[in-house]
Amino acid sequence: MTTIKELRVLPPLAIGRLGAATEPMDNYTCEVDPEQPLAPRRLRPAPTFRVDPDSGAITGADTPDELRFTDGNGRVRPVAPFLEVWALTSDDVLQPLTLDLLSANDLTPDAVRWRVEVGNHKIQRRTYDDLDKIDADTGWFSDHAPHALMGRCPHFLDDRFLPLGHARYVKPTPEFPGIRLRFTPAAGYVYGSRRPTDDIEDDPNVVDYLYDAAKGTWRGHADRAGDPRLTIPANIYAGDDGPKGTWVSRGYLDDECDGLVRVQLEVGGQELTAFGRIGAGPPAYAPDSIPIRTIADELDQALHGPSASDQDTLEHARDVAEEVLRRATETVRLMNTEVMNGNTVDGRVDAASTMVRQDTADTGRLYEPIVAPSLVDSAAVLALHQNVLAALRSGTAPWFADVLRDHDEVGDLTAKGRRKMPALMRGADGRHLALTRRQVELVRLAARQEIFRQDDESGETR
Amino acid sequence: MRSRVHRHLASVVPELFEDHTPVMSALSVAGSLGAEEQRPVLPPEFNWRDYTIMLLHVAAEIEHSLMVQYLFAAYSMGGPQVPDELREDVRGWQEVILGIAKEEMGHLVTVQNLLTALGGPMNLDREDYPWGSDFYPFAFNLRPLSAKSLATYVVAESPETWSGPEADAIKAVAAETAGHYVNRVGALYGRVDAILKNRDFLPDEAFHEDTLPYQASWDEWGRGYARGERGQEAGNVPDVKSPELLVFGVFSRDSARKALHEIGEQGEAPDLDEQDETSHFNRFLGIYRALTELPPDQQALVARPIAQNPVTAHRLNESTAVGYASVEVTTSPITDPVTALWAHLFNLRYRMLLTDVAHAFRLAGPMDNGGVLTGRGALVHRAFAEMYNLRAVAGRLVELPLEKDVPGGQSAGPPFEMPYSLELPHHDHDCWLLQRDLVQASRLLVEQLSEADPSYAQDPYLIALRESDRRALDQIEHILGRKGCTR
Repeated sequence: MTTIKELRVLPPLAIGRLGAATEPMDNYTCEVDPEQPLAPRRLRPAPTFRVDPDSGAITGADTPDELRFTDGNGRVRPVAPFLEVWALTSDDVLQPLTLDLLSANDLTPDAVRWRVEVGNHKIQRRTYDDLDKIDADTGWFSDHAPHALMGRCPHFLDDRFLPLGHARYVKPTPEFPGIRLRFTPAAGYVYGSRRPTDDIEDDPNVVDYLYDAAKGTWRGHADRAGDPRLTIPANIYAGDDGPKGTWVSRGYLDDECDGLVRVQLEVGGQELTAFGRIGAGPPAYAPDSIPIRTIADELDQALHGPSASDQDTLEHARDVAEEVLRRATETVRLMNTEVMNGNTVDGRVDAASTMVRQDTADTGRLYEPIVAPSLVDSAAVLALHQNVLAALRSGTAPWFADVLRDHDEVGDLTAKGRRKMPALMRGADGRHLALTRRQVELVRLAARQEIFRQDDESGETR
Repeated sequence: MRSRVHRHLASVVPELFEDHTPVMSALSVAGSLGAEEQRPVLPPEFNWRDYTIMLLHVAAEIEHSLMVQYLFAAYSMGGPQVPDELREDVRGWQEVILGIAKEEMGHLVTVQNLLTALGGPMNLDREDYPWGSDFYPFAFNLRPLSAKSLATYVVAESPETWSGPEADAIKAVAAETAGHYVNRVGALYGRVDAILKNRDFLPDEAFHEDTLPYQASWDEWGRGYARGERGQEAGNVPDVKSPELLVFGVFSRDSARKALHEIGEQGEAPDLDEQDETSHFNRFLGIYRALTELPPDQQALVARPIAQNPVTAHRLNESTAVGYASVEVTTSPITDPVTALWAHLFNLRYRMLLTDVAHAFRLAGPMDNGGVLTGRGALVHRAFAEMYNLRAVAGRLVELPLEKDVPGGQSAGPPFEMPYSLELPHHDHDCWLLQRDLVQASRLLVEQLSEADPSYAQDPYLIALRESDRRALDQIEHILGRKGCTR
């Protein structure tokens, strides 16, 4: 049972985080403190691979004593995920691809070939000019050196590229024999646009100029009102007020990206391939909090469908209800609820970009705070959420299912509709945020069934 | 009802005093309630404004009492003994009754607004039980849900015109359960309205619109519930519509009358329209019909086996019976020491809820869209938090034994015992001292629970409650340190 039949890259989706520090972020877990269940989650150091910068081999997997998110000089440590190759050796056995398994198939580590292709199409998404796409491709490699992800674009200044980080085939050793690749994202810099002939003053926001404003239209671009392809809301790029109410791009670009990690291995004359997805996002500045709706929730819904099913136990539904509440509490802690509610703050009306402003801008609705202005003192809102969480931990059925916003209520601009939970936040469709349908369904399942429970039968199914 | 209120009731419920001395019956000139055309008569010791305020105090107590009894009934429902095939119905009925209780809270708060607009003191008090009141629709009685207790609720909320064989049958069950019934709530509001609408009794300037910032608003208290659109929206349970919380600000004679009219209407179905599911009467009647269609052995499985009128241990081993009409109301002392601690915790959090509501009425809401926030919002949130705590602790009490070492015995339930006083101190600073006292008392009880049963040291709710109390204390100390309300 050692013949490699198929390959997999695990995890199939890995998200890195930008950072300019040399040493990537240490590994940690994020868990509820049993003694302080209403507090933010507790971060605890976990075993962390150390990769030797010269050889590319893992030299240790110790647990650090403490966690530091910067290098001490203000540079953020990037989150650099590992992608492992696993092998299907029979129909029901998936095992890590290791030196031993390669050897059993008469292969060596240099038989494994990698290729990483990533892109940053943010400018193209605005200008709809394919020559504004920024792409990087390492080509196939089997060595253990870092391979820079050089984002190239036809509209860049001559010989310039956007550094998108690097990928490295970690050198397997007898101590750490697994076959893995590490993706280290870019530094998290902002770059600018200029014409070759420009004599530009230093812009403190940018570290360098990459985009040729003579070739492409990104600097000076303005979203055209009424274009059905626009994001909702539109104009979400760094810019300045232009003529006729337009929002004119400064021509900035960032170094986020996403793409594919491909692996290839020829076994017994047959070429096996697999791929995983990678992406790089901004650093986590509240790593002890989880947003109330995440990609994991979307995937859960994609896997299991929008409804609760017979497979969903009451216990699971309860856990989901508590998790929703906990994340809501963590989110409230990060919000300036007075501003986000549209209150007049320090004499300022419409003090920031909020759902209140957006409701008015999109539909001409009366500019009106979402909940009663007296209620949104941040500390009081946080205390309320903590109390709801506390009560939920008593085993009480969740009673807040009826204040959750349904997926088809995101455009309900009545006072009641705007006050549904989650409140004051925008969803991906530009309207008020709703939980996934599955999250809502599971909270409702717990709400319906909980009262029939006794402590000893909590695992009962629907 | 306290005798100090009762002695004034001849003007509203003259039939109570027919057998009394000629002096008392002489006061019964107003005729029976409900005869709206009859001109109200001012009893001795009052002028019209003060008399109106006294009647509204009585109304507040009635709304408060109804709310508590409905909550008790709703909390009693459920448990592992409910057969699978009944669970959806039972959960639906519970949601309906909880919804009605929430609507009663809206009535209670609206009556406070009326009092505030008239410049009267608010009233969150009510008589402790057992309470045999001459004015009350039926004896105040905390009972698990059954066809009998439901019958009393149906009758209590029924319109005057309700009649026919079904009405007679349900009234008979209610009378057997709770004694003779007269719906005096609606009639009481009728009497108040007869005063409100008459400029000779109350001049326009009796209604103080400048109290609006102090009154409760639907925006603050309505939460996710519907305003004037019940039936539009699914609630926690499929097919059960979310409640319609009526909270009206009062700033004029007209708004005062509208507020009274609306809350009166939400109770009774005014036109006896059976298709209209909005009234409490029709909703209770719907449950009654569905429940009584079940065989008696199944009916008995709908609620947990919990005691009537559970009371805390200060009257240990003593069962108090109070006669009301033909019915005796009996209390059930909680003699299990651990259960008793939970019951004390419940009473304390109930007191905290009432204190938060009263305290919130002391502080004005912001006059513009925010501007400067007072502690009012925090107090409203604390009040809601206590409702959640009450629900959580009630959930425990319905599972805990009433008596120690009685296998298969009854469970306790939420006692809803009133505090010695609901008076707030004069100065706001001292109100916050009271708030601190209550939180500290809660911490003591949580500690005692952990000592009484070591397993509670790991209890997720008690750990969380302890932490939330600690955070509340931090906030209160912040306010007492004159650093502003919650910042």
